Amino acid sequence: MNKKRDRLQIIHDILLAIREKGSQVKPTHILYKSNLSHQMLMEYLQELIAKGFIIEEGDKKGKKVYSLTDKGYDYLRDYTVIKGFVDSYGLG
Amino acid sequence: MVYTHLSPAWFFGYDVLLEISFAVVSLIIALFAFKIYKSSAIKQVHLFGLSFLLISISYIIQSILNFMIISKLNENVSKMIKLQSIVHLNTLGFLIHMFFMIIGLSILLYTTFKTENRKLFWLLIVVSLLLLFLSRDAPNIFYLIVSVYLFFISFHFIGNYRRNRQPKTLLIALAFLLLLFGNTHFIFILNHNLFYPIGHILELFAYILILWNFYLVRKK
Repeated sequence: MNKKRDRLQIIHDILLAIREKGSQVKPTHILYKSNLSHQMLMEYLQELIAKGFIIEEGDKKGKKVYSLTDKGYDYLRDYTVIKGFVDSYGLG
Repeated sequence: MVYTHLSPAWFFGYDVLLEISFAVVSLIIALFAFKIYKSSAIKQVHLFGLSFLLISISYIIQSILNFMIISKLNENVSKMIKLQSIVHLNTLGFLIHMFFMIIGLSILLYTTFKTENRKLFWLLIVVSLLLLFLSRDAPNIFYLIVSVYLFFISFHFIGNYRRNRQPKTLLIALAFLLLLFGNTHFIFILNHNLFYPIGHILELFAYILILWNFYLVRKK
């Protein structure tokens, strides 16, 4: 990838990784798909939980897994329009 | 306090129509920004929507008051009563218009700083309002503050275009440059009343560009 990804795109990639895998996605899978460092991914996941895009749960073994909320699905659906608007006004 | 802005007689009515158009475009952008905020949860987008909502309210008030002035001009009463009511309406309308416009632009300017410093936010608003309402020449101070704010806002949008060379960013940079030129024209309205329609027409072109950008953003 030549061009540096912006925050909007990183969030998009994380949410897409969760959606493609279905519900209850492990952080290792998101890490592999999103191409971020572990620390960066954890920061983004906390932000996405705070914004209500994903929820954190425990699987049968008690390990952390993540699922999209309706708001997360909305973000993926409206991503092109959100990016167009935010880029137009330099709001990101 | 008596505020006057000189509009040529032939422009009566057209100014009201233009101000309604600016209000509608600003409202569309504000509502769209709130919709984008709902999906993205980006705080700056929320503030941006709020700023356009306040700008829209300022235009709505200006257009209503200008419409009422035109109605008063056509009333069949004595010239003295007519003049008094027009001066009162004009002063009241202009004060409310200035209040909402200054707060709206202060918020828009704040969003371009990309900071979460609340003290800076309140400082911008308080200083702007104090300057405006303690001044003996509020209309000129108002257009001066608006022009300074628009200068910095335009600077942000030009920088945004240079970083992100797309038609959409170019439209917004040009729109805000036109708004800047339009407002600097208003500073000179006391010298020549032709500056008033010129300012409005420049603003019209600016809002057409903003609307064009809105169309491009929505087009998938």
